Amino acid sequence: MKKTWVKGFSLLLILSLFVGLFAGCSSDKDESASDEKKSKATANEPGWKTNKDPITFDWYVNFSWFAHKWGDDVVSKYVTDKTGVSVNFISPAGNEAEKMNTMIASGKLPDFITIGWWEDAVKKMVEGELVLPLNELADKYDPYFYKVSDNAKVEWYKQEDGNTYGYPNASSSPKDFDKYKELKPSNQTFLVRKDMYEAIGSPDMSTPEGFLGALQAAKEKFPEVNGAPLIPFGMNEFTDVGNTSLEAYLQNFLAIPMEKDGKVYDRTEDPEYLDWLKTFRKANEEGLLAKDIFIDKRPQMEEKIAQGRYFAMLYQRSDLAAQQHALYQKDPNSVYIAVDGPANSKGDAPTLAGDSISGWTVTLISKDVKDKERAIQFLTYLISEEGQKDLYLGKKGETYDETGGKPEFKPEVLDLLNKDRAAFDQKYGASYKYWMLMDTNMNLQWLPPSSEPFKQMEDWTKGKTVSFAEFDGINPTGTSAEGVAASKIAQEWGKTLPKLLLAKSDKEFKKIFKEYKKKRDSYGYDKVVEYQQKTYKDNKAKLESATK
Amino acid sequence: MDVKIQQPEQQLIEPLVKPGAKSKRFKKAAKRVNNQKYLQIMALLGVVWMFIFNYIPMYGLIIAFKEFSIIQSISEAPWVGLMQFKEFLQDENFLIVLKNTLGMSLIKLIIAFPLPIIFALLLNELTSLKLKKAVQTISYLPHFISWVVLGGILTTWLADIGVINDVLLGLGMIDERTNFLASPDNFWAIVILSDIWKELGWSAIIYLAAIAGVSTELYEAATIDGANRFQKMWHVTLPAIMPTIAILFILAVSGVLNSNFDQILILKNSLNESASNVIDTYVYQLGIQNARYSYATAVGLMKAIIAFILLLSANKIMKKINGTSLF
Repeated sequence: MKKTWVKGFSLLLILSLFVGLFAGCSSDKDESASDEKKSKATANEPGWKTNKDPITFDWYVNFSWFAHKWGDDVVSKYVTDKTGVSVNFISPAGNEAEKMNTMIASGKLPDFITIGWWEDAVKKMVEGELVLPLNELADKYDPYFYKVSDNAKVEWYKQEDGNTYGYPNASSSPKDFDKYKELKPSNQTFLVRKDMYEAIGSPDMSTPEGFLGALQAAKEKFPEVNGAPLIPFGMNEFTDVGNTSLEAYLQNFLAIPMEKDGKVYDRTEDPEYLDWLKTFRKANEEGLLAKDIFIDKRPQMEEKIAQGRYFAMLYQRSDLAAQQHALYQKDPNSVYIAVDGPANSKGDAPTLAGDSISGWTVTLISKDVKDKERAIQFLTYLISEEGQKDLYLGKKGETYDETGGKPEFKPEVLDLLNKDRAAFDQKYGASYKYWMLMDTNMNLQWLPPSSEPFKQMEDWTKGKTVSFAEFDGINPTGTSAEGVAASKIAQEWGKTLPKLLLAKSDKEFKKIFKEYKKKRDSYGYDKVVEYQQKTYKDNKAKLESATK
Repeated sequence: MDVKIQQPEQQLIEPLVKPGAKSKRFKKAAKRVNNQKYLQIMALLGVVWMFIFNYIPMYGLIIAFKEFSIIQSISEAPWVGLMQFKEFLQDENFLIVLKNTLGMSLIKLIIAFPLPIIFALLLNELTSLKLKKAVQTISYLPHFISWVVLGGILTTWLADIGVINDVLLGLGMIDERTNFLASPDNFWAIVILSDIWKELGWSAIIYLAAIAGVSTELYEAATIDGANRFQKMWHVTLPAIMPTIAILFILAVSGVLNSNFDQILILKNSLNESASNVIDTYVYQLGIQNARYSYATAVGLMKAIIAFILLLSANKIMKKINGTSLF
């Protein structure tokens, strides 16, 4: 008797193992039932108000550093109470492209996808019909979408089939760009450590001579910072494809045009740009470029910024906020301030990148979405003024108050925001913690006045921004012939750039650059140029129709 | 010829098998299977697992001969023949990555392969059991640190203000501080030394196990013959663990085109690029990051075929030399 029981049990166990083995293969289809329901939403009434049943959407964010959880803070609890929607954020643990490609290859995507607009994956998802057209969803379930979305952005992201699949964040239509030009800062800055800069007499660093002289003076006066050698000049990390600080940033500071006579201009070949690269080469020859800058990855850089070990930097100001704060608390004089950086020989003002119409990321809705109606309604809510306000300011009475008609963060909330961003995110979750659909223009009205040590850096960039919208996405990607050529060229450049800086003489520099150009041609540069020109033209046409 | 010889044998056997024996034998086998049915089902699970995860994915290898794009299915992708293979062989970086891969692997094979054997032999000679255990534990501890973590630690140690500079400077072995990861010259040495340090103790375990299996009678006999400890090590222990060494050597030879991907990816930077780019990292850049899966698969397949050839030849050579082989 006992034996048969054991037998039966073990058989059951084995069976359950089998079931477990194949359980992953079945797909759950039962959740799309609500599709059939006719939506009651109208163009004047937000759809999300009609249905507040609890639902959880999986939301993939294609940035490995994004590690926030929904539901811990005031904002997310408030939004869930209001709309019934909870979010389960998913972000890649390692390489983003790898994770994204794997998901695309599997043909199944989470409900929402937020990804940089420039990524090849966006194109693939659209071509592979893995994402739903927002306009069709809006027509069917939530016409209110058209009321709150910016038509220029919808037009800009319209594909050849006439559908729009993604909605951007941090994007500025050409009209808005002009409107907010003086108000909105750029992220690209040339920074120096305040106390050191002042100690060497606040020199002009916009000419090659001034630049080298200042680095030299700083190195002589401050050979060490807290016992470790000073790093005279810092920049973004070197990757396989180069260094953003020494490419777009430097080119923007030198005000090198993106196009000439209607043709996309090859900025790398510009004599002004090459002169400045030679200046950096010279800096290396004189021992002013530390080895660290070629080796360090982001974590090491952040540590060194917090220690104040760089004298000057070509870096994005928002990425050193935490470190800047640490420096400020130690000694308000040791912070980094923005000053006039490298400029071209004519001394033109820099043309820094402002928010373009492409924005930063786009958010798409997967074809496998649990509930199409609720998804588009939630998206509409997030881009509407109400949603933006909820995400930025939080809950009235809890995180903000309206004094004299103007909503403002409560003093203790603002205090925490300025002092400890991590704790602020954990507790309140307001102010762009959930930035996936942030409308940076709309949010300007609620923005608390920025305070030191950040205000100086922001103010310096204001009015110096330019929109590069028509050049967005002109570089080919993927496995197309021009895409392969472009990625080979990029890899070659990634190898060439450090060599250029490490060259022993200007002659060697020239030789290396010549070799690079030769290789670039052999990889099929003409195909890349052709693609760039075509995309640029298309973009221009799209922008024109978007501004109409 | 063969057929003619075989025929009489078959005729010899067939009359021996009585009619009906076949079904009898089948019944016997069925009974045996029936008796072991639970064990068999459990074994079957393993077979099914292997089939699903090791054999079905092999179908994907055909994308090496196609131009695969992830939004299509494999069967939809167009055939391109050997294009991907040609492209890799014609790639001007091919020679550099091959040089780095083979260079590091061969040095590892020469230096890092015998070291655990020597270490195990020496460890075996320790008479204090406590000390032996302690040394063993300490030596294989680094194995458990992930390269991701260790790479970060090494980067700090090897930096110009790191501990290794402090030590070397203090000993007067170098005159000025250098960042060791900042030049291609040191890279191979760093990779090999750190790999030895991390894996020495762990690799020695298998040899220690083999040594433990050597019959004590052999040692006693050697003692009676007047062998000293070194002679015992040379004439008894070493020959006894030779089969283990041979098999591990065969496996090591077949792996010369592999490099420690995690380690190299983490220690690699733009300054030591010319010495640090190996096949694995290059394929990762081109194939995985840029989503050129066909290309990556082609290189992987090529590597696997070369590894297989190496395995067969090493196996054959070992069989000739000392009669041990994998198969």
